[in-house]
Amino acid sequence: MEKKLERIKRSIWVFHLNTGSCNACDIEILDALTPYHDAERFGVKLVGSPRHADVLLLTGPITLESLPKVINAIEATPRPRFIIALGSCGSGGGIWHDTYSTIGGVNSLVKILKERGVEVDGVYYVPGCPIRPEALLYAVALIRGLVEKKAKSMVATVE
Amino acid sequence: MEGEKLILDKYIELSRDMGGKASIEGDTVHIIVPSEKLVEAASKLFNEYQCDFRVCVGTDERPLNGYFTITHIFTDNRNGLYVLLKTYIEPQDPKVPSITNAVPGADWCEMEARDLLGIEFTGRTPYRLVLPPEWPKGLHPLRKDVPYNYRPQIRGVSEKVSTTTETGVIPIGPYHPALHEPEYFELYVEGEKVVDVKYRGFHVHRGIEKLGETRMTYQQVNFLAERICGICGFEHSSCYALAVEKAAKLDVPERAQFIRSIVLEVERIHSHLLWLGVAFHVLGYDTGFMHVWRIRERVMYLAELLTGSRKTYGINLIGGVRRDINEEKKQKTLEVLRELEKEYKGLIEVALSVPQVRKRASGTGVLPREDALKLSVEGPTARASGIDKDARRDLPYAAYKYASFRVPVYTEGDNLARLLVRVDELVESMAIIEQLLDKIPKGPILLEKYEIPEGRVGVQVVEAPRGGDVHFVITGHGKPYRWRVRAPTYSNIPALRVMLRDQPLADAPLTIASIDPCFSCTDRVLIVRENGRREWLRLTGGLKI
Repeated sequence: MEKKLERIKRSIWVFHLNTGSCNACDIEILDALTPYHDAERFGVKLVGSPRHADVLLLTGPITLESLPKVINAIEATPRPRFIIALGSCGSGGGIWHDTYSTIGGVNSLVKILKERGVEVDGVYYVPGCPIRPEALLYAVALIRGLVEKKAKSMVATVE
Repeated sequence: MEGEKLILDKYIELSRDMGGKASIEGDTVHIIVPSEKLVEAASKLFNEYQCDFRVCVGTDERPLNGYFTITHIFTDNRNGLYVLLKTYIEPQDPKVPSITNAVPGADWCEMEARDLLGIEFTGRTPYRLVLPPEWPKGLHPLRKDVPYNYRPQIRGVSEKVSTTTETGVIPIGPYHPALHEPEYFELYVEGEKVVDVKYRGFHVHRGIEKLGETRMTYQQVNFLAERICGICGFEHSSCYALAVEKAAKLDVPERAQFIRSIVLEVERIHSHLLWLGVAFHVLGYDTGFMHVWRIRERVMYLAELLTGSRKTYGINLIGGVRRDINEEKKQKTLEVLRELEKEYKGLIEVALSVPQVRKRASGTGVLPREDALKLSVEGPTARASGIDKDARRDLPYAAYKYASFRVPVYTEGDNLARLLVRVDELVESMAIIEQLLDKIPKGPILLEKYEIPEGRVGVQVVEAPRGGDVHFVITGHGKPYRWRVRAPTYSNIPALRVMLRDQPLADAPLTIASIDPCFSCTDRVLIVRENGRREWLRLTGGLKI
């Protein structure tokens, strides 16, 4: 992963992939790119097509309707490709984790992607409801190696 | 002006003529008619009494009384009344006549009831609206016997663009730089002219209504309602809280109502600034976009000061609010508002004198008044087409009766008019906050003890930045029995077909953006198609406009 990260980290081009979000994280992404927070100083650029992107900003729980289109978009992203899962919903499905029309958060998506033979090189999690623009900047700085990782990841399973 | 008694007599007479019964509770008139008279009654309300159609609600009342029901929600804006037209439907083979010939705006909500509750509508062409393709037939998630977490095993199907030789097809979405949310538009073009539009939405259907009726309690639904939409979430939670308070006849402290109104206006300011930025971006005036978002940051900090969060405030509860505004915050708010007003006025003066903004916005995406009335459009889209309606003034809620403000109305119906309505509203919103902060009464902010009786109905309209939000609540045991949400974009999208037709393709993104679409509110509910067969959704489902 380190090596793959090396290939994208100079200037990270991101594609915004809304999989069923409520818009709050989405407007905070835009906010991070506008003058006040100005993520472009780290070389972050929002691009119009997943084919140009290094990182996908995934917001929201993945709904059944958007799932096939999300898979198409991820497939179209060139390797190495990374996902930043934004917000509580993107990270773990949030309040919708078990409703009838979603499949939950990014974990269930990665599982489905594996079944279909689509690989993702790494997933970053930015929790919060909604995320703050600063949190997104922190994630970007983490990828670029400007800051230390503070949180540890743990997997808890419920029987 | 008619006397209050005369107005109510009019509705009672209507129900008597139709062989039904009427009852009045507060500002709500409940009319129950037999299903064969439904179309006639709806037509009379809409065309003769000039009530505004808001939405229809299908309910599975089988556990209560053995019937399905459908309730058409109208509002009488001139007299500040809610009119609910209800009919009972037999549970075996539920069928009810469609009112779309009389009220074209009812198209989508009828199809939603068909998808989610399995109620069939006679006298119209049915199509799938909310659930995804391959959803099992006969599974209707809002029926009470279907668990909220039942996930059918379905294979994801991605729709392909249709191939036709007669006209060119331009797909927009579901992931497109001009849209920030996954929605799919298909524009049919001849040369540079758009001849038709097809829309496939409901990618963001997350099953909120079902969740609110099953896993949540009354107070938790406030926070769930806020997550319907990240931009106008507070409108939704206020609307829900006000609807429940109306159903339970709670006397909410005045101070709480003032705080609600103030925060609602803060939200309107940030939402309109957001829209202005996006509109400038679509127009190709990126300088304007960046500057608007720069001054918008002040409003985000103001929201954080007043509520503790930049977005998704979480301060609403049934019976009041969770955070008070003290003297220090009041002064700070006024200070921020003064600076904001100065910066905003300077900026907007420059932005509106940029030739490309005026040239590209004027005369494009025209929505004539007649079509706007027929389709029951909402908010700035309606006000730009000469329809003078604003729920803050017509159906006063929270503390708006204590503020005086102007409702900007333009008659051109084009993109510039929709832009100017929002520009004017922003100034009004700042004035409202100042007035309310000045008049805010002392006292508690939360009702400590209250009871919510079962089986009561509450319906509330709240004027969100995009138009009227409608929440309909039937109270139940510890949680709502039925909770129906209607976001303004739901009424405005069908109008896009009128706006886009015979317009140059280059104006399409601006016109789509001009209704300030908010799909996450619109799509709470879901849609299905059979056998993976493509079944295109038409914007107005076969209706002749």
